[in-house]
Amino acid sequence: MPKFDFGFDPPLMNAAGILGFAPNPRYKRLWSRLGAFVTNPISFHPRLPVQGTRYISFGVGFLLHTGHPNPGIQAALRRYAPAWARSELPVIVHLLPQDPAEAAQMARRLEGLENVIGVELGLPLGIEKEAARSMMTAAMGELPVMARLPFNSAVELAPAAAEVGVSAVSLGPPRGILADEDGKLVEGRLYGSAVFPFAASVARQLVSFGIPVVAAGGVYREQGIRLFQEMGAMAVQLDAWLWLI
Amino acid sequence: MHFTEGRIIQLILEPAGMVSAWITCPIAALPAPGRFSLANVRDGWEAVLPTAVFSGGVSDEGFLAVGNLPPSWLPGVTLQLRGPLGRGFRLAGGERRLALAACGETARRLMPLAEEAARSGADVAWFSDLALPHMPAEYELNPLRALPDALTWADFLALDLPLKRLLELRAWLGQSGSAGRLRLPCPAQALIHAPVPCGGIADCGVCAVPGRRGWMRACQDGPVFDLEDLAW
Repeated sequence: MPKFDFGFDPPLMNAAGILGFAPNPRYKRLWSRLGAFVTNPISFHPRLPVQGTRYISFGVGFLLHTGHPNPGIQAALRRYAPAWARSELPVIVHLLPQDPAEAAQMARRLEGLENVIGVELGLPLGIEKEAARSMMTAAMGELPVMARLPFNSAVELAPAAAEVGVSAVSLGPPRGILADEDGKLVEGRLYGSAVFPFAASVARQLVSFGIPVVAAGGVYREQGIRLFQEMGAMAVQLDAWLWLI
Repeated sequence: MHFTEGRIIQLILEPAGMVSAWITCPIAALPAPGRFSLANVRDGWEAVLPTAVFSGGVSDEGFLAVGNLPPSWLPGVTLQLRGPLGRGFRLAGGERRLALAACGETARRLMPLAEEAARSGADVAWFSDLALPHMPAEYELNPLRALPDALTWADFLALDLPLKRLLELRAWLGQSGSAGRLRLPCPAQALIHAPVPCGGIADCGVCAVPGRRGWMRACQDGPVFDLEDLAW
Protein backbone atom coordinates (compact mmCIF):
# COMPACT_ATOMS: atom_id res chain seq x y z
CA MET A 1 0.00 0.00 0.00
CA PRO A 2 1.45 3.43 -0.91
CA LYS A 3 2.41 5.87 1.84
CA PHE A 4 -0.11 8.68 2.31
CA ASP A 5 1.46 11.98 3.41
CA PHE A 6 -1.86 13.62 4.22
CA GLY A 7 -2.45 11.99 7.57
CA PHE A 8 -5.80 13.04 9.04
CA ASP A 9 -8.74 11.28 10.47
CA PRO A 10 -11.40 10.58 9.33
CA PRO A 11 -9.99 10.27 5.80
CA LEU A 12 -12.65 12.57 4.41
CA MET A 13 -12.48 16.10 3.10
CA ASN A 14 -14.59 18.43 1.04
CA ALA A 15 -13.92 18.89 -2.65
CA ALA A 16 -12.57 22.30 -3.62
CA GLY A 17 -15.32 24.81 -4.32
CA ILE A 18 -17.82 23.27 -1.94
CA LEU A 19 -17.22 24.88 1.45
CA GLY A 20 -15.66 28.23 0.68
CA PHE A 21 -12.21 29.69 1.17
CA ALA A 22 -11.97 29.12 4.90
CA PRO A 23 -13.90 27.06 7.44
CA ASN A 24 -16.95 29.04 8.47
CA PRO A 25 -17.84 28.57 12.16
CA ARG A 26 -21.54 28.66 11.19
CA TYR A 27 -21.17 25.23 9.63
CA LYS A 28 -19.27 23.68 12.49
CA ARG A 29 -21.48 20.61 12.52
CA LEU A 30 -19.77 19.53 9.31
CA TRP A 31 -16.32 19.53 10.86
CA SER A 32 -16.89 16.37 12.87
CA ARG A 33 -17.51 14.52 9.61
CA LEU A 34 -14.32 15.71 7.93
CA GLY A 35 -10.63 15.19 8.58
CA ALA A 36 -9.41 18.16 6.52
CA PHE A 37 -10.71 21.30 4.82
CA VAL A 38 -9.94 22.02 1.17
CA THR A 39 -10.22 25.67 0.13
CA ASN A 40 -11.97 26.96 -2.95
CA PRO A 41 -9.60 27.21 -5.93
CA ILE A 42 -7.20 30.15 -5.65
CA SER A 43 -5.45 31.49 -8.73
CA PHE A 44 -2.40 33.69 -9.05
CA HIS A 45 -4.41 36.68 -10.24
CA PRO A 46 -7.96 37.56 -9.12
CA ARG A 47 -10.75 35.99 -11.16
CA LEU A 48 -14.30 37.24 -11.65
CA PRO A 49 -17.45 35.13 -12.01
CA VAL A 50 -18.33 34.24 -15.59
CA GLN A 51 -21.25 35.99 -17.20
CA GLY A 52 -24.36 34.09 -18.20
CA THR A 53 -25.78 30.82 -16.96
CA ARG A 54 -23.74 29.31 -14.18
CA TYR A 55 -26.02 26.55 -12.93
CA ILE A 56 -28.18 24.01 -14.73
CA SER A 57 -29.98 21.18 -12.98
CA PHE A 58 -30.49 17.91 -14.81
CA GLY A 59 -32.52 15.91 -12.35
CA VAL A 60 -29.98 13.54 -10.84
CA GLY A 61 -27.21 16.08 -11.05
CA PHE A 62 -26.27 19.60 -11.91
CA LEU A 63 -23.76 21.57 -13.93
CA LEU A 64 -21.75 24.47 -12.53
CA HIS A 65 -19.88 26.99 -14.62
CA THR A 66 -18.58 29.73 -12.36
CA GLY A 67 -15.11 30.60 -13.62
CA HIS A 68 -13.79 29.89 -10.11
CA PRO A 69 -14.03 33.50 -8.92
CA ASN A 70 -11.44 34.25 -6.26
CA PRO A 71 -9.40 37.21 -5.05
CA GLY A 72 -6.02 35.84 -6.19
CA ILE A 73 -3.30 34.41 -3.98
CA GLN A 74 -2.12 37.67 -2.47
CA ALA A 75 -5.52 38.83 -1.27
CA ALA A 76 -6.55 35.29 -0.36
CA LEU A 77 -3.62 34.94 2.02
CA ARG A 78 -4.41 38.28 3.59
CA ARG A 79 -8.09 37.45 3.99
CA TYR A 80 -8.07 33.77 4.84
CA ALA A 81 -4.72 32.73 6.36
CA PRO A 82 -5.80 33.89 9.84
CA ALA A 83 -8.93 31.73 9.59
CA TRP A 84 -6.88 28.80 8.33
CA ALA A 85 -4.64 29.15 11.38
CA ARG A 86 -7.64 29.17 13.72
CA SER A 87 -9.39 26.29 12.00
CA GLU A 88 -10.14 23.14 13.95
CA LEU A 89 -9.50 21.21 10.74
CA PRO A 90 -6.13 21.09 8.99
CA VAL A 91 -6.30 23.04 5.74
CA ILE A 92 -5.32 22.01 2.23
CA VAL A 93 -5.11 24.98 -0.11
CA HIS A 94 -6.32 24.38 -3.64
CA LEU A 95 -4.15 26.24 -6.13
CA LEU A 96 -5.16 27.01 -9.68
CA PRO A 97 -1.98 28.10 -11.49
CA GLN A 98 -1.78 28.70 -15.22
CA ASP A 99 1.84 27.66 -15.61
CA PRO A 100 4.74 26.13 -13.63
CA ALA A 101 6.10 29.52 -12.59
CA GLU A 102 2.81 30.44 -10.97
CA ALA A 103 2.59 27.00 -9.37
CA ALA A 104 6.02 27.40 -7.82
CA GLN A 105 5.41 30.92 -6.54
CA MET A 106 2.03 30.09 -5.08
CA ALA A 107 3.18 26.91 -3.38
CA ARG A 108 6.16 28.67 -1.81
CA ARG A 109 3.89 31.32 -0.33
CA LEU A 110 1.96 28.67 1.55
CA GLU A 111 5.00 27.17 3.21
CA GLY A 112 5.16 27.90 6.89
CA LEU A 113 1.55 29.00 7.18
CA GLU A 114 0.03 27.73 10.38
CA ASN A 115 -2.31 24.75 9.99
CA VAL A 116 -1.82 24.48 6.22
CA ILE A 117 -0.87 20.85 5.71
CA GLY A 118 -0.67 20.65 1.96
CA VAL A 119 -1.50 21.84 -1.50
CA GLU A 120 -4.07 20.53 -3.91
CA LEU A 121 -2.82 21.44 -7.35
CA GLY A 122 -5.63 21.86 -9.84
CA LEU A 123 -4.26 20.86 -13.23
CA PRO A 124 -5.91 22.79 -16.06
CA LEU A 125 -8.25 21.08 -18.46
CA GLY A 126 -6.60 19.65 -21.52
CA ILE A 127 -3.11 19.88 -20.09
CA GLU A 128 -0.56 17.68 -21.86
CA LYS A 129 1.43 15.10 -19.96
CA GLU A 130 4.73 16.99 -20.09
CA ALA A 131 3.15 20.26 -19.08
CA ALA A 132 1.45 18.49 -16.19
CA ARG A 133 4.76 17.02 -15.13
CA SER A 134 6.35 20.49 -15.12
CA MET A 135 3.46 21.96 -13.17
CA MET A 136 3.56 19.25 -10.53
CA THR A 137 7.34 19.42 -10.20
CA ALA A 138 7.16 23.19 -9.77
CA ALA A 139 4.60 22.93 -7.00
CA MET A 140 6.61 20.48 -4.96
CA GLY A 141 8.44 21.90 -1.99
CA GLU A 142 8.03 21.66 1.73
CA LEU A 143 4.33 20.90 1.62
CA PRO A 144 2.85 17.64 0.33
CA VAL A 145 1.20 18.07 -3.04
CA MET A 146 -2.01 16.40 -4.11
CA ALA A 147 -2.47 16.75 -7.85
CA ARG A 148 -6.09 17.12 -8.88
CA LEU A 149 -6.33 15.44 -12.24
CA PRO A 150 -8.91 16.52 -14.79
CA PHE A 151 -11.51 13.77 -14.91
CA ASN A 152 -11.31 13.13 -18.63
CA SER A 153 -7.53 12.73 -18.70
CA ALA A 154 -6.90 11.42 -15.18
CA VAL A 155 -5.79 7.95 -16.23
CA GLU A 156 -3.52 9.38 -18.88
CA LEU A 157 -1.85 11.80 -16.46
CA ALA A 158 -1.56 9.47 -13.46
CA PRO A 159 1.76 7.87 -14.51
CA ALA A 160 3.33 11.35 -14.70
CA ALA A 161 2.06 12.09 -11.20
CA ALA A 162 3.59 8.83 -9.97
CA GLU A 163 6.93 9.59 -11.64
CA VAL A 164 7.10 13.11 -10.25
CA GLY A 165 6.33 11.75 -6.80
CA VAL A 166 3.36 13.83 -5.73
CA SER A 167 1.92 12.74 -2.42
CA ALA A 168 -1.48 11.87 -3.84
CA VAL A 169 -3.79 12.40 -6.77
CA SER A 170 -7.37 13.49 -6.53
CA LEU A 171 -10.04 13.53 -9.16
CA GLY A 172 -11.70 16.62 -10.54
CA PRO A 173 -15.37 16.59 -11.49
CA PRO A 174 -16.26 15.41 -14.99
CA ARG A 175 -17.28 18.08 -17.46
CA GLY A 176 -20.27 18.14 -19.68
CA ILE A 177 -22.51 20.35 -21.76
CA LEU A 178 -26.16 21.20 -21.19
CA ALA A 179 -28.52 23.72 -22.72
CA ASP A 180 -29.79 26.48 -20.48
CA GLU A 181 -33.41 27.64 -20.52
CA ASP A 182 -32.69 29.88 -23.49
CA GLY A 183 -31.22 26.96 -25.44
CA LYS A 184 -27.65 28.20 -25.12
CA LEU A 185 -25.06 25.47 -24.61
CA VAL A 186 -23.11 25.75 -21.38
CA GLU A 187 -20.04 23.70 -20.54
CA GLY A 188 -19.16 23.08 -16.93
CA ARG A 189 -18.44 20.77 -14.05
CA LEU A 190 -20.91 18.00 -13.32
CA TYR A 191 -22.01 17.00 -9.85
CA GLY A 192 -24.62 14.71 -8.42
CA SER A 193 -25.20 11.05 -7.71
CA ALA A 194 -25.18 10.25 -11.44
CA VAL A 195 -21.44 10.98 -11.43
CA PHE A 196 -20.58 8.22 -8.97
CA PRO A 197 -20.34 5.19 -11.29
CA PHE A 198 -18.03 7.08 -13.66
CA ALA A 199 -15.90 8.37 -10.80
CA ALA A 200 -15.66 4.90 -9.29
CA SER A 201 -14.44 3.49 -12.59
CA VAL A 202 -11.72 6.11 -12.93
CA ALA A 203 -10.74 5.88 -9.25
CA ARG A 204 -10.18 2.14 -9.56
CA GLN A 205 -7.87 2.67 -12.51
CA LEU A 206 -5.94 5.36 -10.62
CA VAL A 207 -5.41 3.05 -7.66
CA SER A 208 -3.78 0.54 -9.98
CA PHE A 209 -0.90 2.97 -10.59
CA GLY A 210 0.25 2.53 -7.00
CA ILE A 211 -0.11 6.18 -5.98
CA PRO A 212 -2.29 7.35 -3.10
CA VAL A 213 -5.70 8.23 -4.52
CA VAL A 214 -8.17 10.67 -3.04
CA ALA A 215 -11.38 9.59 -4.73
CA ALA A 216 -14.14 12.05 -5.50
CA GLY A 217 -17.37 12.36 -7.38
CA GLY A 218 -21.00 11.64 -6.80
CA VAL A 219 -20.88 10.53 -3.17
CA TYR A 220 -24.34 11.05 -1.71
CA ARG A 221 -24.41 8.02 0.59
CA GLU A 222 -22.10 6.52 3.20
CA GLN A 223 -22.05 3.52 0.91
CA GLY A 224 -20.21 5.56 -1.72
CA ILE A 225 -17.45 6.38 0.74
CA ARG A 226 -17.09 2.71 1.66
CA LEU A 227 -16.96 1.64 -1.96
CA PHE A 228 -14.18 4.11 -2.77
CA GLN A 229 -12.24 2.91 0.30
CA GLU A 230 -12.70 -0.73 -0.62
CA MET A 231 -11.23 0.08 -4.03
CA GLY A 232 -8.12 1.32 -2.27
CA ALA A 233 -8.69 5.07 -2.09
CA MET A 234 -6.74 6.63 0.79
CA ALA A 235 -9.33 9.32 1.31
CA VAL A 236 -12.55 10.57 -0.20
CA GLN A 237 -13.67 14.05 -1.14
CA LEU A 238 -17.32 14.97 -0.67
CA ASP A 239 -18.99 17.60 -2.76
CA ALA A 240 -22.54 18.94 -2.79
CA TRP A 241 -23.73 16.24 -0.38
CA LEU A 242 -22.20 18.49 2.27
CA TRP A 243 -24.84 21.10 1.43
CA LEU A 244 -27.51 18.65 2.52
CA ILE A 245 -26.17 17.07 5.71
CA MET B 1 -26.35 24.81 9.88
CA HIS B 2 -29.82 24.71 11.32
CA PHE B 3 -32.26 22.16 9.97
CA THR B 4 -35.94 21.81 10.71
CA GLU B 5 -38.60 19.56 9.35
CA GLY B 6 -41.57 20.54 7.24
CA ARG B 7 -44.44 18.65 5.70
CA ILE B 8 -46.29 19.36 2.47
CA ILE B 9 -50.02 19.58 3.12
CA GLN B 10 -51.38 21.08 -0.08
CA LEU B 11 -50.31 21.94 -3.61
CA ILE B 12 -51.58 25.08 -5.36
CA LEU B 13 -51.64 25.41 -9.13
CA GLU B 14 -50.81 29.01 -9.90
CA PRO B 15 -52.28 30.97 -12.84
CA ALA B 16 -49.03 30.85 -14.79
CA GLY B 17 -48.79 27.06 -14.43
CA MET B 18 -46.36 27.08 -11.54
CA VAL B 19 -47.01 24.91 -8.52
CA SER B 20 -46.68 26.19 -4.97
CA ALA B 21 -46.93 24.11 -1.80
CA TRP B 22 -48.28 24.81 1.65
CA ILE B 23 -45.72 23.50 4.11
CA THR B 24 -46.25 23.12 7.83
CA CYS B 25 -43.15 23.91 9.85
CA PRO B 26 -42.00 25.50 13.13
CA ILE B 27 -42.48 29.27 13.34
CA ALA B 28 -38.71 29.80 13.42
CA ALA B 29 -38.48 28.28 9.94
CA LEU B 30 -40.89 30.75 8.30
CA PRO B 31 -38.99 32.84 5.75
CA ALA B 32 -39.60 36.59 6.08
CA PRO B 33 -40.48 38.39 2.83
CA GLY B 34 -37.58 38.01 0.40
CA ARG B 35 -35.66 35.47 2.48
CA PHE B 36 -35.49 31.82 1.43
CA SER B 37 -35.11 28.32 2.80
CA LEU B 38 -33.49 25.34 1.17
CA ALA B 39 -35.73 22.30 1.16
CA ASN B 40 -35.21 18.72 0.10
CA VAL B 41 -36.77 15.33 0.54
CA ARG B 42 -34.31 13.68 2.86
CA ASP B 43 -32.72 10.62 1.24
CA GLY B 44 -34.98 10.94 -1.75
CA TRP B 45 -33.44 10.24 -5.14
CA GLU B 46 -33.87 13.84 -6.14
CA ALA B 47 -31.91 14.96 -3.11
CA VAL B 48 -28.95 15.94 -5.27
CA LEU B 49 -29.57 19.52 -4.28
CA PRO B 50 -32.14 21.30 -2.19
CA THR B 51 -34.71 23.60 -3.73
CA ALA B 52 -34.76 27.27 -2.77
CA VAL B 53 -38.24 28.22 -1.59
CA PHE B 54 -39.61 31.65 -0.75
CA SER B 55 -42.71 32.48 1.21
CA GLY B 56 -45.78 33.35 -0.80
CA GLY B 57 -47.91 33.70 2.32
CA VAL B 58 -48.05 32.49 5.90
CA SER B 59 -50.64 30.74 8.01
CA ASP B 60 -50.76 29.63 11.63
CA GLU B 61 -49.11 26.38 10.65
CA GLY B 62 -46.56 27.25 8.02
CA PHE B 63 -45.99 29.00 4.73
CA LEU B 64 -46.77 28.78 1.04
CA ALA B 65 -43.51 27.63 -0.56
CA VAL B 66 -42.82 29.30 -3.89
CA GLY B 67 -40.04 28.08 -6.14
CA ASN B 68 -39.20 25.59 -8.84
CA LEU B 69 -40.68 22.67 -6.93
CA PRO B 70 -39.69 19.10 -7.90
CA PRO B 71 -42.53 16.89 -9.17
CA SER B 72 -41.94 14.45 -6.30
CA TRP B 73 -43.14 17.04 -3.79
CA LEU B 74 -46.60 15.76 -3.04
CA PRO B 75 -48.92 16.23 -0.07
CA GLY B 76 -47.70 14.15 2.85
CA VAL B 77 -44.04 14.34 1.89
CA THR B 78 -41.67 15.35 4.69
CA LEU B 79 -38.99 17.90 3.87
CA GLN B 80 -35.74 18.89 5.46
CA LEU B 81 -35.56 22.69 5.66
CA ARG B 82 -32.45 24.81 6.08
CA GLY B 83 -33.05 28.44 6.77
CA PRO B 84 -34.37 31.05 6.61
CA LEU B 85 -31.34 32.31 4.70
CA GLY B 86 -30.21 35.48 3.02
CA ARG B 87 -31.32 39.09 3.39
CA GLY B 88 -34.97 39.90 2.77
CA PHE B 89 -36.82 43.14 2.20
CA ARG B 90 -35.87 45.86 4.66
CA LEU B 91 -38.48 48.56 4.98
CA ALA B 92 -37.74 51.60 7.05
CA GLY B 93 -41.17 51.45 8.67
CA GLY B 94 -44.02 53.87 8.23
CA GLU B 95 -44.27 53.43 4.45
CA ARG B 96 -47.70 54.56 3.23
CA ARG B 97 -47.56 53.85 -0.52
CA LEU B 98 -45.97 50.59 -1.58
CA ALA B 99 -45.37 49.79 -5.26
CA LEU B 100 -44.70 46.16 -6.12
CA ALA B 101 -43.40 45.07 -9.51
CA ALA B 102 -43.37 41.39 -10.44
CA CYS B 103 -41.11 41.00 -13.48
CA GLY B 104 -40.35 37.29 -13.16
CA GLU B 105 -42.53 34.22 -13.50
CA THR B 106 -44.71 34.81 -10.43
CA ALA B 107 -45.95 37.57 -8.18
CA ARG B 108 -46.23 35.27 -5.17
CA ARG B 109 -42.86 36.14 -3.65
CA LEU B 110 -43.96 39.74 -3.15
CA MET B 111 -47.34 38.92 -1.63
CA PRO B 112 -46.20 38.61 2.00
CA LEU B 113 -44.70 42.09 1.72
CA ALA B 114 -47.96 43.44 0.31
CA GLU B 115 -49.94 41.81 3.10
CA GLU B 116 -47.66 43.27 5.76
CA ALA B 117 -47.94 46.74 4.26
CA ALA B 118 -51.72 46.52 3.86
CA ARG B 119 -52.11 45.40 7.48
CA SER B 120 -50.29 48.51 8.60
CA GLY B 121 -52.64 50.67 6.53
CA ALA B 122 -50.44 51.36 3.52
CA ASP B 123 -51.78 51.61 -0.02
CA VAL B 124 -50.52 48.85 -2.29
CA ALA B 125 -50.17 49.05 -6.06
CA TRP B 126 -49.04 46.12 -8.21
CA PHE B 127 -47.27 46.41 -11.55
CA SER B 128 -47.04 43.25 -13.60
CA ASP B 129 -47.93 41.65 -16.90
CA LEU B 130 -48.40 38.24 -15.25
CA ALA B 131 -51.69 36.48 -14.65
CA LEU B 132 -51.91 37.32 -10.97
CA PRO B 133 -53.32 35.07 -8.24
CA HIS B 134 -56.40 36.20 -6.37
CA MET B 135 -55.71 39.56 -4.76
CA PRO B 136 -57.62 41.58 -2.15
CA ALA B 137 -59.87 44.19 -3.73
CA GLU B 138 -58.03 47.09 -2.10
CA TYR B 139 -54.88 46.42 -4.13
CA GLU B 140 -54.48 48.48 -7.28
CA LEU B 141 -53.39 46.42 -10.30
CA ASN B 142 -51.44 47.93 -13.18
CA PRO B 143 -49.52 46.73 -16.21
CA LEU B 144 -45.75 46.83 -16.02
CA ARG B 145 -45.58 49.70 -18.50
CA ALA B 146 -47.18 51.93 -15.86
CA LEU B 147 -44.26 51.39 -13.50
CA PRO B 148 -42.49 54.72 -14.24
CA ASP B 149 -45.60 56.53 -12.97
CA ALA B 150 -45.33 54.67 -9.68
CA LEU B 151 -41.98 56.25 -8.93
CA THR B 152 -43.51 59.62 -8.16
CA TRP B 153 -46.35 58.09 -6.15
CA ALA B 154 -44.69 55.38 -4.07
CA ASP B 155 -42.58 55.83 -0.98
CA PHE B 156 -41.13 52.34 -1.45
CA LEU B 157 -40.66 50.15 -4.51
CA ALA B 158 -40.16 46.39 -4.28
CA LEU B 159 -39.28 44.40 -7.37
CA ASP B 160 -39.04 40.71 -8.14
CA LEU B 161 -36.99 39.82 -11.20
CA PRO B 162 -34.66 37.19 -12.62
CA LEU B 163 -30.98 38.08 -12.72
CA LYS B 164 -30.89 37.76 -16.49
CA ARG B 165 -33.47 40.55 -16.80
CA LEU B 166 -31.63 42.99 -14.57
CA LEU B 167 -30.50 45.05 -17.52
CA GLU B 168 -34.12 45.51 -18.63
CA LEU B 169 -34.84 47.32 -15.41
CA ARG B 170 -33.79 50.65 -16.81
CA ALA B 171 -36.45 50.44 -19.50
CA TRP B 172 -39.11 49.22 -17.08
CA LEU B 173 -38.41 52.12 -14.79
CA GLY B 174 -38.19 54.62 -17.62
CA GLN B 175 -34.68 55.63 -16.63
CA SER B 176 -31.83 56.69 -18.85
CA GLY B 177 -28.30 57.90 -18.33
CA SER B 178 -25.12 56.27 -17.13
CA ALA B 179 -25.37 53.64 -14.45
CA GLY B 180 -23.72 55.76 -11.79
CA ARG B 181 -26.20 58.59 -12.26
CA LEU B 182 -29.47 56.71 -11.99
CA ARG B 183 -31.38 57.99 -9.02
CA LEU B 184 -34.88 56.90 -8.09
CA PRO B 185 -37.16 59.24 -6.17
CA CYS B 186 -38.00 56.56 -3.57
CA PRO B 187 -36.14 53.73 -1.87
CA ALA B 188 -36.22 50.59 -4.00
CA GLN B 189 -35.20 47.01 -3.38
CA ALA B 190 -35.14 44.05 -5.75
CA LEU B 191 -35.49 40.36 -5.06
CA ILE B 192 -33.11 38.89 -7.63
CA HIS B 193 -33.66 35.32 -8.75
CA ALA B 194 -30.33 33.61 -9.06
CA PRO B 195 -29.64 29.97 -8.30
CA VAL B 196 -28.55 29.59 -4.68
CA PRO B 197 -27.87 25.85 -4.51
CA CYS B 198 -25.39 25.99 -1.63
CA GLY B 199 -27.26 28.52 0.49
CA GLY B 200 -24.07 30.45 1.17
CA ILE B 201 -21.79 27.59 2.22
CA ALA B 202 -19.63 27.43 -0.87
CA ASP B 203 -18.85 31.04 -1.73
CA CYS B 204 -18.70 29.63 -5.24
CA GLY B 205 -19.92 32.51 -7.36
CA VAL B 206 -22.88 30.68 -8.90
CA CYS B 207 -25.23 33.36 -7.64
CA ALA B 208 -22.97 36.35 -8.35
CA VAL B 209 -24.92 39.54 -9.01
CA PRO B 210 -23.27 42.60 -10.57
CA GLY B 211 -23.02 45.47 -8.15
CA ARG B 212 -21.84 49.04 -8.54
CA ARG B 213 -18.83 48.25 -6.36
CA GLY B 214 -18.12 44.75 -7.68
CA TRP B 215 -19.82 41.40 -7.54
CA MET B 216 -22.20 40.47 -4.76
CA ARG B 217 -23.64 37.09 -3.79
CA ALA B 218 -27.38 36.51 -3.86
CA CYS B 219 -27.01 33.76 -1.23
CA GLN B 220 -25.42 36.00 1.39
CA ASP B 221 -25.58 39.64 0.34
CA GLY B 222 -29.11 39.16 -1.07
CA PRO B 223 -31.26 37.86 -2.59
CA VAL B 224 -32.90 41.24 -1.87
CA PHE B 225 -30.64 44.15 -2.80
CA ASP B 226 -30.97 47.89 -2.59
CA LEU B 227 -31.38 48.96 -6.19
CA GLU B 228 -28.74 51.65 -5.71
CA ASP B 229 -26.17 48.92 -4.99
CA LEU B 230 -26.86 46.98 -8.19
CA ALA B 231 -25.32 47.60 -11.60
CA TRP B 232 -28.24 48.05 -13.98
